Amino acid sequence: MTKWLYCALLMVASIFGAPAVSTTSAFAADKTIKIGALFPISGPGSYFGTQDKQGVELALEQLNKAGVNGYKFEVKYEDSACSPLPATQATKRLIEQFKPDVAIGEECSDATLAIMPIMARAKIPLLNAGSSSIKITEPGNPWTFRIMPNEVMQGIDIANNAYKRLNARTAVILHENTNAGIGNAKVFADTFTKDGGKILADIGFGRDVNDFTSIATRVAGLGQIDVIPTYTLEGQGLKITQALAQAGVVKGGGGHAIQLGTIWLPFGFEQKAGKAALGYIRIVQFDPTDQREVVRKFVDAFKAKYNQSPTHLNAHAYDQIMLIADVVKRGGKDAQSIRDGLAATKNFVGVTGSVEFDKHNQNVKMDTVHYMETKPDLSWTALKWN
Amino acid sequence: MLTVVLQQGINGIVVGSLYVLVALGLTLIYGVLVQINFAHADIVTVGAFVAYFVTHWLSGNYFAGIAAALAVGAVFGWLMNAAIFAPLRDRGNELLPLIATIGVSIMLQNAMLVLLGPIPYAFNTPYSNEVIRLGGTFLTVQNALIIIVSTITIVLLYAFMKFTFLGKALRAVSQDRETAGLMGINPNYVIMLTFVIASALAGMGGAMLGPVLVLTPFAGTSVIVKAFAIVIIGGFGNVEGTIIAGLIVGLIESYTTQFLDPGWIDIVVFALLLLTLAVRPTGLVAERREENV
Repeated sequence: MTKWLYCALLMVASIFGAPAVSTTSAFAADKTIKIGALFPISGPGSYFGTQDKQGVELALEQLNKAGVNGYKFEVKYEDSACSPLPATQATKRLIEQFKPDVAIGEECSDATLAIMPIMARAKIPLLNAGSSSIKITEPGNPWTFRIMPNEVMQGIDIANNAYKRLNARTAVILHENTNAGIGNAKVFADTFTKDGGKILADIGFGRDVNDFTSIATRVAGLGQIDVIPTYTLEGQGLKITQALAQAGVVKGGGGHAIQLGTIWLPFGFEQKAGKAALGYIRIVQFDPTDQREVVRKFVDAFKAKYNQSPTHLNAHAYDQIMLIADVVKRGGKDAQSIRDGLAATKNFVGVTGSVEFDKHNQNVKMDTVHYMETKPDLSWTALKWN
Repeated sequence: MLTVVLQQGINGIVVGSLYVLVALGLTLIYGVLVQINFAHADIVTVGAFVAYFVTHWLSGNYFAGIAAALAVGAVFGWLMNAAIFAPLRDRGNELLPLIATIGVSIMLQNAMLVLLGPIPYAFNTPYSNEVIRLGGTFLTVQNALIIIVSTITIVLLYAFMKFTFLGKALRAVSQDRETAGLMGINPNYVIMLTFVIASALAGMGGAMLGPVLVLTPFAGTSVIVKAFAIVIIGGFGNVEGTIIAGLIVGLIESYTTQFLDPGWIDIVVFALLLLTLAVRPTGLVAERREENV
């Protein structure tokens, strides 16, 4: 009996113990652009990787039907786990074993910052779409490009909108203690204070914090709060929103404060948080109600492939591949020419918005930032602030 | 300010009660086997997911979810002991079962990742958003349930250990396995029972933690480090010490959040751990190992 159980467990282990890497490879042809994808597939940020992969796969399916300038695209995924050490190991593995022409990822700033010097040494361009830390492009390095607005661009925009459009005068900042969390919080605090607002508290916490009732209690004791900018991943974000509602601080709990969120949160957050999310205003990188043809085609294709609506994570991953394809169309064929092509990008039109890099390889376009407000039925209203 | 202090006290007791539920299983296994069980965290996660799915399938019957989590935890405990730990113990190497618990932990995490995906689940019970407000303080019905269930569990466990034959047998095996065997107690049966009780507690702890935790396949690992700290602070294998240490850690967390910063929580808790090891290495309550469990 015992031996039988032992064998059964070993079989289960062998089934589930498969490595967390995979390759989308249907092409053995010479003319292939090899793309390394460094996404968090495990750990608390793994929802990024899951959704990124969907966007990438859709783009590959569309591009590889006919190819671009005679090139097909092959992607290898590595689990960078949203954390510096596994990201570093995954990057080295990717470079040694796959030898990519270009890489995309990571989502979390700490991981991206760890990857950047390795990619630069290998002279392989890295195209980032989800990390906000200013350190990624300031001072930056010639091999790293970022599509999304950095924490300064986002933070200034959110703080100004809070002060001017929402007439907020007091704020409490909640953030995880990471490069991105601390950086975003600082930019908001600096801008909001400069505008004339007052920061009542700046509360940081580790990713291992589970129960936010104590933090909500502390926030509730700080007097009248107009806005609560919150910089966390989805899991903690859910618990914070619910705890703030239970403490009667935010609109969703009958309070006064409006929670302000970032693109870190995936679509569907409101449905999980329930009525606690009422009045929550957050920026997303993709507006599904956008009527541009490129967006409508993407939404239709995504729904046809996955039988679900795309999220901003799906969208920015799709844009990463499409931007690389655009560079290949303009003559990119290896790491160096793809880097040069990315640097020369002007007015690339993606589903998240447009792309044009400055001298630090930061996208200067702000039309990738879309503000959404949660309505009582937990649907969104696009606020059209940008 | 008094209201805030009182509220943070309530918050601390809720969190502490959760930690106690998780740590009790760890301390039971250590008390009887002198073995650290790294897979305990993943039984907590399994319990949380079982409670989540049963509660949803039964249209919000959370109590059925708790019962199912307890039962599934118990089955996992029996299975792990019978299939892995018992055969390894028979080989006489103490290191093998310890390493096996790490293997089981990794296997369970990856199995849940494959089956359930990485995206956080929102485990909202019918009691999650019902708030009791009294004199400026608040408590969700869910959190009140956590305190009630933890208290009942602690009382029942205490009564089992002190007043039943099996409980006494368990304590006898923890003190001296060979002598207990000579007295007619089957140590292997008692060890199996210990795993079943500890894992049932972990499963039920998961059911109570699920609505509080960020529910992913890695949920249990986020509390297990604290649970280990509590077991050490309380005195390895000491049930009373574990209860006291759990509540102390819960209160430290809430008051540190209020008066310092949440970023200081781990610093304060683990400073207490180091202080305990330095000043009172046997833990807050335990003086002699034979008094444990």
